[in-house]
Amino acid sequence: MILLRLISWPYARKHLVRWVLTIGGIVLGVALLVGMYTANQSVLEAFNRTVEHIAGKTQLQVSAGDGGFAEEVLERVESDPDVRAAAPVIEQVVDSGIKGQGKLLILAVDMTGDRSLRDYDLEGGDEDVMDDPLVFLAQPDSLILTRDFAARNGISSGGKIAMKTMDGDKQFTVRGILRSGGMTSAFGGNLAIMDIYAAQKFFGMGRRFDRIDIGLKDGVTLEQGQAALRKLLGPGFEVDPPSGRGQHFESLMSVYSMTMNIASLFALFIGTFIIYNSFAIAVTQRRAEIGILRALGATRGQIRSLFLGESAVAGLAGSAVGIGFGLLMAQGLTASTNAFMEGVMGASANADHMLVRPWLLVTAAAVGVVTSMVAAFLPARSAARVDPVKALQKGQYQVLSAGENRRRRTAALAAIAVAAGCIVFGRSVVAFYAGYFLAVIAMLLLTPALSLFLSKVLRGPLKWARPVEGALAADSLIQSPRRTSATVAALMLSLALVIALGGMARASYREITEWMDTTMSPDFFVTPSEVISARTYRFPDNMTDGLRQIPGIAEVQPVRIVRINFRGKPVMLVAIDSESIARRTRGQKVTAGDFDGMYRATAAQKGLIIADNFAQLDKLKLGETLEIASPAGVLRLPIAGILEDFSNQLGTIFIERALYRRLWKDDAVDVFRVYLAPGAVAAHVKAHILERFVHERRLFVLSNKEVRSWVLKVTDQWFGMTYLQLFVAVLVAILGIVNTLTVSIADRRRELGVLRAVGGLRNQIRHTIWMEALAIGIIGLTLGVAAGAVNLYYQLTIVRQSFAGIALDYTFPFGIVGLLVPVILGAAFGAALFPAESAVRSSLVEALEYE
Amino acid sequence: MSKSLVGQPILAAGRLLAGLFLLSCALPAEDARQIVAESQRRGQADSQRYEGSLEVISPSNKVTKKRWQSDRLGSYGASKAIIRFTEPPEVKGVALLVVNHPDRSSDQWMWTPAIGRDRRIAQQDRSTRFFGTDFSFEDLEERDVDQFDFSLQGEESIDGAPCWRIESKPKEGKSSQYTSSRVWIRKDNYVPVQYENYVKDKLVRRLVERDIQNLQGIWTARLLEMTDLGRKSRTILKLENVRYNAPVKDDDFTVQALRRQM
Repeated sequence: MILLRLISWPYARKHLVRWVLTIGGIVLGVALLVGMYTANQSVLEAFNRTVEHIAGKTQLQVSAGDGGFAEEVLERVESDPDVRAAAPVIEQVVDSGIKGQGKLLILAVDMTGDRSLRDYDLEGGDEDVMDDPLVFLAQPDSLILTRDFAARNGISSGGKIAMKTMDGDKQFTVRGILRSGGMTSAFGGNLAIMDIYAAQKFFGMGRRFDRIDIGLKDGVTLEQGQAALRKLLGPGFEVDPPSGRGQHFESLMSVYSMTMNIASLFALFIGTFIIYNSFAIAVTQRRAEIGILRALGATRGQIRSLFLGESAVAGLAGSAVGIGFGLLMAQGLTASTNAFMEGVMGASANADHMLVRPWLLVTAAAVGVVTSMVAAFLPARSAARVDPVKALQKGQYQVLSAGENRRRRTAALAAIAVAAGCIVFGRSVVAFYAGYFLAVIAMLLLTPALSLFLSKVLRGPLKWARPVEGALAADSLIQSPRRTSATVAALMLSLALVIALGGMARASYREITEWMDTTMSPDFFVTPSEVISARTYRFPDNMTDGLRQIPGIAEVQPVRIVRINFRGKPVMLVAIDSESIARRTRGQKVTAGDFDGMYRATAAQKGLIIADNFAQLDKLKLGETLEIASPAGVLRLPIAGILEDFSNQLGTIFIERALYRRLWKDDAVDVFRVYLAPGAVAAHVKAHILERFVHERRLFVLSNKEVRSWVLKVTDQWFGMTYLQLFVAVLVAILGIVNTLTVSIADRRRELGVLRAVGGLRNQIRHTIWMEALAIGIIGLTLGVAAGAVNLYYQLTIVRQSFAGIALDYTFPFGIVGLLVPVILGAAFGAALFPAESAVRSSLVEALEYE
Repeated sequence: MSKSLVGQPILAAGRLLAGLFLLSCALPAEDARQIVAESQRRGQADSQRYEGSLEVISPSNKVTKKRWQSDRLGSYGASKAIIRFTEPPEVKGVALLVVNHPDRSSDQWMWTPAIGRDRRIAQQDRSTRFFGTDFSFEDLEERDVDQFDFSLQGEESIDGAPCWRIESKPKEGKSSQYTSSRVWIRKDNYVPVQYENYVKDKLVRRLVERDIQNLQGIWTARLLEMTDLGRKSRTILKLENVRYNAPVKDDDFTVQALRRQM
């Protein structure tokens, strides 16, 4: 501690800017870790809180995917002697229609039977929640709002609130106010209670419920109740405690959170190199100081502890700032995670506040400190090994030995050989990841040698551009490969990530566009919601004939899309009119099977089609029999074909709609794919559709172009991370280069002083440093592009094998590289401005004091 | 007791009471169970029809009024009844079908014309209030005397009329929201004139029957006042145009019939 105060603190104070830049990596990594984890947890917790508050005394919930099930199931559940109370529920998230109030969760229940599970009289019961329970049930436009929501919007009992329903915009009457507390805090207070039978009508659900909440009789354990209900209802139903819904939501969110977490890990990884660089430089700069300490009796252990102590303090400071930034970031990220889950996954949580977990903050701080100490370990060990005699001799520098370089190259080549072996011969996931890890290690081991090589290559062009400054800049890099290589390594890793992500985005866009060209062929998509993925409303089956009768329409394809539980995972089940779809989507990319054959088998209800990503993720093969649990029992059908399909990241199964209707007893339609007759004018047909149905029900006629742009927008949202990664890369470039240049200038103070003393112009000094920065940028870019090319291969394999099952073609993202060149070189130049000015303005006397 | 005797007033409209002449053949007064059984027997009719007006007086003295028409078929404990609301306009057409069983909870269905749907009323919520009144759904049920244990607690006068005070408790295994109930049955005509229902030892509901008239030979209370002592609210039910043994068909007491508009 005394050494830290007497030795380290004065040094840190003198190089404050550099230390701030050094801990930048830790700040960024910790901020991303805290921000993303907090956002994810806040959304998850909001969902769980809503589930918990709404569950009330519910012990078990019966569900059958998000398509719900027929009403008759209620009587079967009630017949179970273990069941004390069974309450049907429909949950829908709708637009509140009030500016700034966002979504409203509609909890639709049967108030004549729901009170044994949920407490509606929250504070004693001397005041009624409902003005008149009979009127509430008799009038389907009745709503009960929470007191908070009503107060926020100046709505009192008897007031009106507009909502979108299947019958169009409708005014609802507030016939009750729920007092604050308990259930009212679900969904951030944006909760409305509706009669379940009214909800069936308004959301076009037919005679179906979403789930049944269950209370068990006294003495019946959860396991007993669960087992009895599972036996009674069969495999098509899920019987789980309310907490099971949180797990389902979490599994939907996991795809998103995994992407987010990778960014934070990468930032920390890159931060390690920046810290390593700074400490390696600090050790070099402070050799004389270390020599004096050693001469005065300081042990090697004390020197090592001094540097490790410094790194711990730097890590702690970086973590503290990172936690602060992370919490700020979390607010924005929570909103975007919410939006993603709602827009892409169709699941809403309405996280209204952040959930800050103390253990996360402690862990983040520990991660920051440990990362910093790990990064400083090698420099600290090197400091401990400093020979006091040599250290006190002026002009003596320890340089990277030729032997050390050779060892690194040998190790790198060995790592490359093993990594290549893993690709060629490795069959297991472990071998693949081991190969990936070794490839990264090889890149890092080769960085000093390649940096040196590239510096020598660049010497010529730099000298050609500016004979004096160019040569000086290149020589500075050549003489200090260790100083340069850590920054280059950080930059290389960062760019490798950006290039891989950019490559994946590019490949995805191309694949998705090709898929849309063949699959998204209808002229119109008639949907009950503005967004095609929304599942709040649905159409009745009889609308199909209504549409077919409209002049100018050649073909109508009703499609039902539900999420079902398959082997514990929420996958998408799409019910289609196979024969019609096959006729209109002939260009679809077939992965396995014969196009006509697979659709024929599906139409005959003798087979089903699955998406390629589903086959990859679940290791499914053509001809294999799938067992799908339906409310009517287990559906066993062979896989008749595998198609490329991007509908759902967790997998999609296509079955014949008639089969779905029979087994699921559900004839609702989520979207109508409409094809126009030759010569029909699209605008006229659209007007006819609207004219025919707009007074009957809520509907949107989306053109092919509108749906395509929505799909691309979702893809953009997904790859929005690319921009965040790009930001991290730029920041790393700036941090690393500023750091390196600052040290480079400090190292060369004497050299620069001499240069100025012999007549060197200030501009020449400036240009030297600018060129050095640009050279680092060029080296980093070159190695980054090469590493990116390798990383892209691994990332595409990860996406295919374990992430989304999507097989994307390898296409190098030249466009991204084209963008990176000016961005990184611009960042390098910008990073050089301050150090250059600092060098130009430094005291000549101080610089030459040793002469 | 609570179900069998409190439930009767709405559906059986003010208790069906036999003539005074039956006093002569009265069963031994000290046998509480037989007193109750006799009280029920004297109220028997093949059918009953009446128009009811309902006033719910909330704790803040807000008065909500409704009217309905009630039809009932069958003997006590195995009867069927349909209540159709006629006023106010917001609830007009809403109907409730109650099918009583002597040995278990009744089955109940409700019809809401605005959405054209009938719904089965869940078994589990029999203790909740019957559509905002101070009666509970359980109070509508009729249950056999064999489901309760009775004990004669003493004799008291209500409005100057000597009464037996009888306590009932559900037999073991029989569920009820009430731990016990007390009923005051007039000695002269076996008319129950007051009920008190307890949860543990706390009095939660009191029903008072007034304006007792002999209609077609059956003693009938035409005014019933239920007080919820917890909420401090009251419900007053008045019976008009009461008719017994009118010709009604079994088909009129089905879920299909419930859907038919008046």
